[in-house]
Amino acid sequence: MYAWKCWRESRARFIFLLIMFTVTALLFTLQQGLEVRDGWWYFDRSEYIRNPGPTAHVVFSMILSVLWCSGFLSAVFLGATASGSEIEPGTIEYLWTRPRTRASVTWTHWSVCAAEMVAVAVVPIYLAAVLLATLTKHWDFPFLFFAPWMIVIVGLPVLGLTTLMTALRRSTSGGLIYTSGVVIVYAILRQIIIVPLHLNPPTLFAGPLVWLVNNNQFGVPPIAFPWGSLWRAVFLAAAFPLAAQYLLKRTEV
Amino acid sequence: MSEAAILTEGLGKSFGALAAVSELNLKIQPGAVYGFLGRNGAGKTTTMRMLLGLVRPTKGSARVLGLDPTRETELIRILERVGFVPQRKQLYGWATPAELVRMNKAYFPRWSDDAAARLAQRLEIPMNTAFKKLSIGNQSKVALLLALAQGAEVLILDEPTAGLDPMMVDEILRTLIEDHISQGRTIFVSSHHLGEVEQICDWVGILEGGRLLLESRLEEIRQEFRLVIASGEGLPVSTSTDLVSATTDGRFQRYVVAREAERFAAELRTHGATILEISPVGLRELFLHLVRKEDACTPGNVGAKAAPVSSFS
Repeated sequence: MYAWKCWRESRARFIFLLIMFTVTALLFTLQQGLEVRDGWWYFDRSEYIRNPGPTAHVVFSMILSVLWCSGFLSAVFLGATASGSEIEPGTIEYLWTRPRTRASVTWTHWSVCAAEMVAVAVVPIYLAAVLLATLTKHWDFPFLFFAPWMIVIVGLPVLGLTTLMTALRRSTSGGLIYTSGVVIVYAILRQIIIVPLHLNPPTLFAGPLVWLVNNNQFGVPPIAFPWGSLWRAVFLAAAFPLAAQYLLKRTEV
Repeated sequence: MSEAAILTEGLGKSFGALAAVSELNLKIQPGAVYGFLGRNGAGKTTTMRMLLGLVRPTKGSARVLGLDPTRETELIRILERVGFVPQRKQLYGWATPAELVRMNKAYFPRWSDDAAARLAQRLEIPMNTAFKKLSIGNQSKVALLLALAQGAEVLILDEPTAGLDPMMVDEILRTLIEDHISQGRTIFVSSHHLGEVEQICDWVGILEGGRLLLESRLEEIRQEFRLVIASGEGLPVSTSTDLVSATTDGRFQRYVVAREAERFAAELRTHGATILEISPVGLRELFLHLVRKEDACTPGNVGAKAAPVSSFS
């Protein structure tokens, strides 16, 4: 029943994210054929039929170059409804006097959000792929089946981080602001190391996503799959919620 | 059931330098209806939260239905059998009472749909209005419904009738009496409304500054406790166990004694006192005598100034 409550609280955000990314993906899919004539929008399929393979590849690359952030965004916005966010408004007394462990509450919420995150990653990409395949009659998209899962794997550590930050700050807004703060500070520090010092450290956990986007672009040499980054993502995806669970278990209200 | 429904031994909780609860010893028998009284900040809510695992004790121990709320596995078993109405009756604003009922029943194997429907009708709860749109009174009623319908063996109610009109207070008290007290369930209730406590409770505990000043059967207070008003110079304040409270009001001394008021009065006369009145003392009067801080009073009245008087020889 707590899963239903998590779904009920996060469904508006979930539906918003799903619609936003689906519409974006479909617009990018149709973009090649859209043109304005006499002030009206028209759709011309000829480009899709003339060069099916290259068109499909270009369009799919464009979709991925935009949708890679869906994992991050859904992780932050969905994760901010974690049980820690109930401390400030006061509903936590109700929740923590139900006969469930705080660990089960933490992981139930995490599971619901992870499932929603999968949907936000899978549905737009696969819908766009189906539409693109219908238009081009070309079904060979590199990494199509991996793409959403790379987005999810990289999003999971952020979901865990948001769960932890929400428990630390005890509110939804605190979780959102502090997670964004950590990500931005990390990005700035990384740029400081890369640009002035001319160092190129491996990505912490976003490697699979970098690999996915890079390997879908024309003219960019393919890079090896970053297994180290993947394992760090898996480790952080588990470590952050465990830290949140530990913190919440010791929290007094 | 032979074990105490609620048992605390030397229970204490400090927040930094502030001792919210100190050396609290409670033994509430199954079937008792225990009124937990005290001013704001006396430690009532902290005590209840310790019993439900929301706050960890810094000293002593607590048992609810023989189980330790500081151990997670035992706490879950406590929460299955205990209904709780918190002081801040905050539930999910987006949910209607009907949705909250559906959500809540999944947690409790002894949940009664009949009881929930009956309570909703009796307390006139609009079941299909979002919780955030309900009045404070209706929000309190929803919190009560959820606790009362879960078939709990022990009810812990923290100011359950706050914000309710007298009609609803009466309805809730009647519900408690008919559905819970008559079935021998234990109720541990804190309230500032002493009239309500007198109506339903058989035991009272008065807490002040985190310490239990008095614990007694309500019947005993009615039958045995007496207010003795005496006048005289330099009257003593006894450390006798029968003396509950002594306050000075100009030339008058007001004593509350737990028993044998006549013998106590005779003893005062031997010190030159004139006894002006010996009368039964109500719960309200007793409460005010115990927790009023501006008056000098006996040991046991925490926070009060010591009376500048001699003791009985």
